[in-house]
Amino acid sequence: MMRKSVVRYTLESCAKCMTCIRACPTSALSMYNGRIRVDQERCINCGKCISSCTHKGLLASGSSLDALKDYDYTVCMVPSALINDCTDLDQAGELFHAIKMLGFDEVVDISDVEGAILEEMYLISDNADETASIASFCPVVNALVRDTYPVLQANITPVKYPSEVAAARIRKQHEGKNVGIFNLCECESKLALAKHPFDNPEYETDHALAIVDIFPAVRRNMSEEREDVCFCPEGLRFSNPAMMLQKDEYLIADGFDKINSVLNMAEFGLLNKFRLLQLFPCFNGCIGGHLLFGNSFLTRNNLHQLTSEKSKPAADLSFEEMYSEDVFTRDEDNRSFMERVEWFKKVNAQLELLPGYDCSACGMQTCRLMAEEIAEGHKTLSDCRVLAAMEDRKTNEDN
Amino acid sequence: MSTVLRKEYVVVRDDYAGAGKVSSDVKSTLSSIGIPSPVLRRIAVACYESEINMLIHAYGGDIILEIGDDGVIHMTFSDPGPGIPDIEKAMTPGWSTASDKAREMGFGAGMGLPNIKRVSDEFDITSSPEGTTIQLSFKVT
Repeated sequence: MMRKSVVRYTLESCAKCMTCIRACPTSALSMYNGRIRVDQERCINCGKCISSCTHKGLLASGSSLDALKDYDYTVCMVPSALINDCTDLDQAGELFHAIKMLGFDEVVDISDVEGAILEEMYLISDNADETASIASFCPVVNALVRDTYPVLQANITPVKYPSEVAAARIRKQHEGKNVGIFNLCECESKLALAKHPFDNPEYETDHALAIVDIFPAVRRNMSEEREDVCFCPEGLRFSNPAMMLQKDEYLIADGFDKINSVLNMAEFGLLNKFRLLQLFPCFNGCIGGHLLFGNSFLTRNNLHQLTSEKSKPAADLSFEEMYSEDVFTRDEDNRSFMERVEWFKKVNAQLELLPGYDCSACGMQTCRLMAEEIAEGHKTLSDCRVLAAMEDRKTNEDN
Repeated sequence: MSTVLRKEYVVVRDDYAGAGKVSSDVKSTLSSIGIPSPVLRRIAVACYESEINMLIHAYGGDIILEIGDDGVIHMTFSDPGPGIPDIEKAMTPGWSTASDKAREMGFGAGMGLPNIKRVSDEFDITSSPEGTTIQLSFKVT
């Protein structure tokens, strides 16, 4: 599967403070010739750089609503992360109506699909061998495991993203029509799970919309008028670690540092007593997604209000609808083992010449990455600001 | 065989807060070189287990990681004591001398040494009151 970063850079707003470079957990950002460069191979779309930037130099945006005119019939999918923002069914109905007023023919909730996928993950983990399964609902976790914890790759549950399953069902329902399927996204990483705007033709969803982008218009459309809505409780739990099914053998963790420590322990084989690891890089889970605006502590207890009056069961999905064959594979490294060891040594030799402050002033996040750049011939030792300053001082003292 | 890469680490006595730091570094080093996952998994398990052993049973110690030009990864764990009185017993699954404090922290299930041996391609242990040395090797290719 192609890797696409959703992070967009604006040179005019960039203060060149290097904060984003230091914030990136996968060392995907660097500065070349005064511009931030995002490494498409390394970026996992976690959005840490975007939230670290105080100058709006980095952004992630979805498609614009102009795309609605390209289709004869348009459907908007609402994820449970946004539904959890509503305090009750009436408010949710008003929200759905206001979204529809943006120009959609239909606004659908996908909590029944999310619920079915979550239940399938429980089933998979119950039937897995002695190691813990890793829930695959977050694109960031899937990418992180693939790149940083390859040992755990096989433990990822091989199911599709709910938005994709739901989109395929909608497409089938409207077979023969020129239907446009739009997904509202609560976080940066989900913007990449659609054909547009990031040109990923393999997805069933046509357009990804950032919730924060369309919300000013939605607010203006809010009125007494409401759609008749009802949700699947299991689906609403999907995005909310505080409300997920709590069992001794299910590990639930949120926050980027925490999930890293969980994955590290899992690689050491220390978490085998758990059946399923449910990991949310965002604090408070998907309801804490960067593209939402509510306070996730206020919204995370809304589940009961939203489902006590009436609710619907999880969707009945077939095996073919849910399971995915491709997705999470790692690119093959064609170099032999010894070639890779030699490369590592070459980098280490350069690293020993660098000061080791990891100050990022050269534009690379750490001295090790700088050593790699030097070993590849893209930079030289003289590009290190600290070494240059030391050199200057020595020259001044000598004079 | 000659060594193409060598890294040395120190495990500090009673530094429970730092437990697993060496293993994490070994893991990320080997991962960045691109060791295939099945081997990496075995090395991670053995290294972590041995590192924790140094912390709970010994007075800290040294860990050496070496990669040979024959594609074999060697790991040496040596501590300055107090030694294992009965290696045969220590190699029996379930047998443990860990303190209550260590058990409270989730260590000391008595599976340490048997596990290390199970996941290694070669396993060698010598012990006296002056210290214990464990040598492990893993074939990459």
